Amino acid sequence: MQNERLKYIFLFFIQIIFISNIVAGPWPVPKGKAYYKLSEWWLVFDQHYTDAGQIDPNVTTGIYTTAFYGEYGLTDRLTAIAYAPLLVRNTMNNLVSNTTSEVLVEGDAINTVGDIDLGIKYGLTKVGASVPISATLMLGIPTGETSGGRQGNLQTGDGEFNQLVQVDIGTGFSIGKTSAYASAYTGFNNRTNDFSDEFRYGIEGGVNLLNKKLWLIGRLFGVESFKNGATAESVTSTSIFANNSEFTSYSLEAAVYITDKVGVSANIASAFRGEIIAASPSYSVGVFWDLKK
Amino acid sequence: MKFQHLLFYLIIIISASSCIGDDIVFDTIDPEVRIMNPVDTIGLGETYQFKFDYFNNVGQQVSDQAGVWTSSNPDIISIDANGLATAIQVGNSEIQVETEADGFTITDTYIVAVGENTVVTVQERSGSIRTTSSYALEGDFTLSESESGIELSFENNYNASTALPGLYVYLTNNPNTTSGALEIGRVETFSGIHTYQIENAGVNDYSHVLYFCKPFNVKVGDGQIQ
Repeated sequence: MQNERLKYIFLFFIQIIFISNIVAGPWPVPKGKAYYKLSEWWLVFDQHYTDAGQIDPNVTTGIYTTAFYGEYGLTDRLTAIAYAPLLVRNTMNNLVSNTTSEVLVEGDAINTVGDIDLGIKYGLTKVGASVPISATLMLGIPTGETSGGRQGNLQTGDGEFNQLVQVDIGTGFSIGKTSAYASAYTGFNNRTNDFSDEFRYGIEGGVNLLNKKLWLIGRLFGVESFKNGATAESVTSTSIFANNSEFTSYSLEAAVYITDKVGVSANIASAFRGEIIAASPSYSVGVFWDLKK
Repeated sequence: MKFQHLLFYLIIIISASSCIGDDIVFDTIDPEVRIMNPVDTIGLGETYQFKFDYFNNVGQQVSDQAGVWTSSNPDIISIDANGLATAIQVGNSEIQVETEADGFTITDTYIVAVGENTVVTVQERSGSIRTTSSYALEGDFTLSESESGIELSFENNYNASTALPGLYVYLTNNPNTTSGALEIGRVETFSGIHTYQIENAGVNDYSHVLYFCKPFNVKVGDGQIQ
């Protein structure tokens, strides 16, 4: 369908969830080991970056995602990856007259599964390499809702099948007695249905504190659109979707191990520059099971 | 407490806070009274029935509003309390309708001539749209009568951003909201000359052309119809 070709402004921001969840560095999970995470991510925004990079207001929109993320070591160099937004709630506020207190435009909400991402990561360097490099292929499965709600303007998926190829490089090191790591990645996201393809990049660093109980992680990442997809001008249907979104964002995460294998994490991410994306921070909290040890 | 329980309670808290809230729209405007069927010339000895509409402080038409009609030169054109004008002798007179709104007096006037025959010229109004956001929107337009209603024509200097999802154009009496506005349709032409045909509407029915991003209820720009 034509109106599934392009993507909503707010939905694009969902990519940030996924990016900040999967940027796990170039280290494949050892064979038979696993890492799982169950998280709640949310973003509420009443302003967005325009195509000129300026910030404009919009009706307050909320996205709440309960998601499962998992990595499993198929071999010592090959890891299976899955990101499954099990429940995505998308809301829009009522518009109420300041003069009459009447509801001018009624708000709306939908609750559905989101778009699922499946992939594999392969270690290009030998296990134990001081500077490991890996390649990742992620497939975006369009399992979400593309036009929900009374006006068809709520969405939990983009309706397109995309393929992300990514290369990661990193290294672990010590700062005094403190363990740390740094990594970087670059990738190409091939998108279908007239969506613009994307160049992705990011760097990440983490330090291990409190006797290896606490990881503090900082990320800087972004997406640059090739702007080779459809626009409102080139789509002749009644499409109401946007395209060519891009951003540069940061995220900060704290992960605390409660036991050797179980911990909780909290994350904040926000774009500090963008085009056609939300201009508010997103938050997530989760419980993870680190079964790699 | 198990971690699963902790997560469960956390999700409950977050879900409870994810209800649909209210965004306030500052939609107050100045009330307006408008002569809806102006005429250029009334034939000598003939009568003409003027009509007016009153639009309140949110641009809604109020049908039972009282108005007072006057003529600046009653020796040339007389007008009764119901807006019925009579052309008495050749000349010009300013026809005025006056009403009370929230303690203020508001008026609309129109200069009318008396001649050989009654002449109702083809109504045409114009204006320029301008962006009220960071998205590009500009251009001159003309609103004129057509066989089935009116047509809204944009000139060659028209330009609108293609980046927005769901850009729609409206006619409205309140440029702050699409509530009560006439939705013309989704914007499919983003530069240059183009025309919208609008049925069952009059040239004087609306005060503004309005551009909104419909999916996000974001105002993009407007243009007053002069």
